[in-house]
Amino acid sequence: MRVLIIEDDAETAAYVLDGLRRHGHVADQVSDGRDGLMTAAGGDYDAIVVDRMLPGLDGLAIVKMIRGAGVKAAVLFLTARGGIDDRVEGLEAGGDDYLTKPFAFSELLARLNALARRPPLTSIETVLRVADLEMDLIARRVKRNGTDVELQPREFKLLEYLMRNAGRVVTRTMLLERVWEFHFDPKTKIVETHISRLRAKVGSGGQQQLIHTIRGVGYVIRSPS
Amino acid sequence: MSFGLPLRLMRTASFGLALLYATLLAASAVVLGFIVYWTVQASIDRQMAAHIDAEIEILKEELRSEGAADLAREVETRINYFGALDYFLADADGKRLAGDLSNLPATDGWSDIAIPDPQRGKDPKYFRVKIVHLDNGYRLVVGDDLGSKEDIRRAFLGALGWALLAFLVLTLTAGALLSSAFLSRVDAIARTAEAISNGDLGSRVPLQGTNDNFDRLSATLNRMLDQIQRLMESLSQVSNDIAHALRTPLGRLRQKLEVARANSGANSECTKTIDAALEETDNILDTFSALVRIAQIESGTRTAGFREIDLSKLFETVSEAFSAAGEDEGKTLTAKIAPSIKFWGDGDLISEMLANLLDNAIRHTAQGAHIEVSLVNHGSQLVASVADDGPGVPPSEQDRIFRRFYRLERSIGTAGTGLGLSLVAAVAELHGMKFCATDNKPGLRMTLSFDCGVLNAKRASRAIDHDLAQGPRQIARRGPERAEKVALQS
Repeated sequence: MRVLIIEDDAETAAYVLDGLRRHGHVADQVSDGRDGLMTAAGGDYDAIVVDRMLPGLDGLAIVKMIRGAGVKAAVLFLTARGGIDDRVEGLEAGGDDYLTKPFAFSELLARLNALARRPPLTSIETVLRVADLEMDLIARRVKRNGTDVELQPREFKLLEYLMRNAGRVVTRTMLLERVWEFHFDPKTKIVETHISRLRAKVGSGGQQQLIHTIRGVGYVIRSPS
Repeated sequence: MSFGLPLRLMRTASFGLALLYATLLAASAVVLGFIVYWTVQASIDRQMAAHIDAEIEILKEELRSEGAADLAREVETRINYFGALDYFLADADGKRLAGDLSNLPATDGWSDIAIPDPQRGKDPKYFRVKIVHLDNGYRLVVGDDLGSKEDIRRAFLGALGWALLAFLVLTLTAGALLSSAFLSRVDAIARTAEAISNGDLGSRVPLQGTNDNFDRLSATLNRMLDQIQRLMESLSQVSNDIAHALRTPLGRLRQKLEVARANSGANSECTKTIDAALEETDNILDTFSALVRIAQIESGTRTAGFREIDLSKLFETVSEAFSAAGEDEGKTLTAKIAPSIKFWGDGDLISEMLANLLDNAIRHTAQGAHIEVSLVNHGSQLVASVADDGPGVPPSEQDRIFRRFYRLERSIGTAGTGLGLSLVAAVAELHGMKFCATDNKPGLRMTLSFDCGVLNAKRASRAIDHDLAQGPRQIARRGPERAEKVALQS
């Protein structure tokens, strides 16, 4: 994955660059808004991480301009303030996701992975498959090894999100945002509870567990290899 | 406005003043009028008396120079003069010699008499007469019709009445006009104050450009509001600066801890310590974010996220999300939510508010507790509540639990920032909801009550405000960010 980081805080930029390179991605960094605009418009990036506030040109303006120029790369905003107004503004300007500083690198990586590997809009999947687990999105039915699995609507949504990101780690906050539309962090273990119920339903009868917990990061659904 | 206007006008200070002035001026006009009236009357009386006295002197002279027979003739002649006085002349025996005054008193001197007048029906004619006895024993009476004096009196009183009426009408109209002008200025100030308390800090009292008292007052108020806005802005800038000043190094600390954790390899003891440090750092950051968020919400300007939301659906989503987690902790959560209640507000903030209440209810109750979420519609009043049958909060503490960092003694040591309910209170305030904690006997009941009617009106007015104030607000929002940027670089 080719990632461009437009961030003027040298430490944060180094932290993100280093992390991405460790995980085998190609990452470039610019620290000025105007340079950021030029690089983003010219380079062929899969994802762009852009700070909301930059010297020269602010993040919102950069994203509006590159979207206007037809750049399709996934855009993730970084900001020091997690105001809801800021989030809405960022998404309206053409951003795809939003992360409040300070953040865990694993959170950023999980979000970038989810963004950059979005399937093209043309191929609308109707059936999702992970090993012998099958989800029919039209009939809204789930089968494990041919046997029906009864799920609550919210459990279905949770499993759907996990399966759409099969093989990729999704974090707790991503699940809260996408499955429940909660843009805050409840103290109650909502995600944990629902995941454990989902596991019990999907993996009942001594079948191999497909949903795995990645300690300190989140969850992943994948075929046993 | 249309129906209450006359009443409101009458209650204004300026109308009261106008009324007072009108009354005082009318009273002084009446006094002045009567002084003039009496002066005029007295002057008429004096003129009449002088006229009569002069006539009597002439007739006395006539008697002395020409004799009694000539006197009678002279009187007859004078009766026929145009605008003549009235006469009566009798000899010593009382026999009439000339003139036609009757009903005369016996005594000499001045008196007023009434003579029936067949032309005027019942009303007699009044005369002022002077009776004298002449040297030869003749009795001479000279008098004048008092009717002219009466005409003057009537004309005067009539004029006074009309003048008073015109005067009252003019002063009251002027008073009403002044008062409505006054009211419109007062209303303008009241509207501005209302807009400001609704969070539009940029609102100012409009000036008329007349440089009158009101304009000067408005200008003073506006200067005061400018000052308050500057103070508020610098306050929020200071808190933003502090937020940044602390969050940036804390963020770097977190980054370094993460790098350390990645590098710590298989050293499990070290990894554990770093994990604990990371958790502590996250807690500090959480507390800080919560403080900044509460301050942002309390500033009352976060209304850009206000939309029409399906409150029932939102309540269902949140309570459903918590019910499974509650069940796992041995607590039952039931929801009684009236369907399809629409509301104007910030859905994300209301979700967070309800989640905080449920977090609290689950965290502060023992196993086996029942928690009930409800949303009901009492006419125009919406009532939302989260009630549990846990240990509750002593009545003396019920008001204090909304304070920042306030924690009940028994909760100290458990997880949590002590900011959850402050955030709930701030979100409730932003949405015009009344938030209170009561005894659920046993347990705690958190109630949010709000008026749909008022909110419907707000929805309409805010939508307009939003369109009108888009420009300045955008600028206002950019301001602190720029300041933050500076703080970050320095």
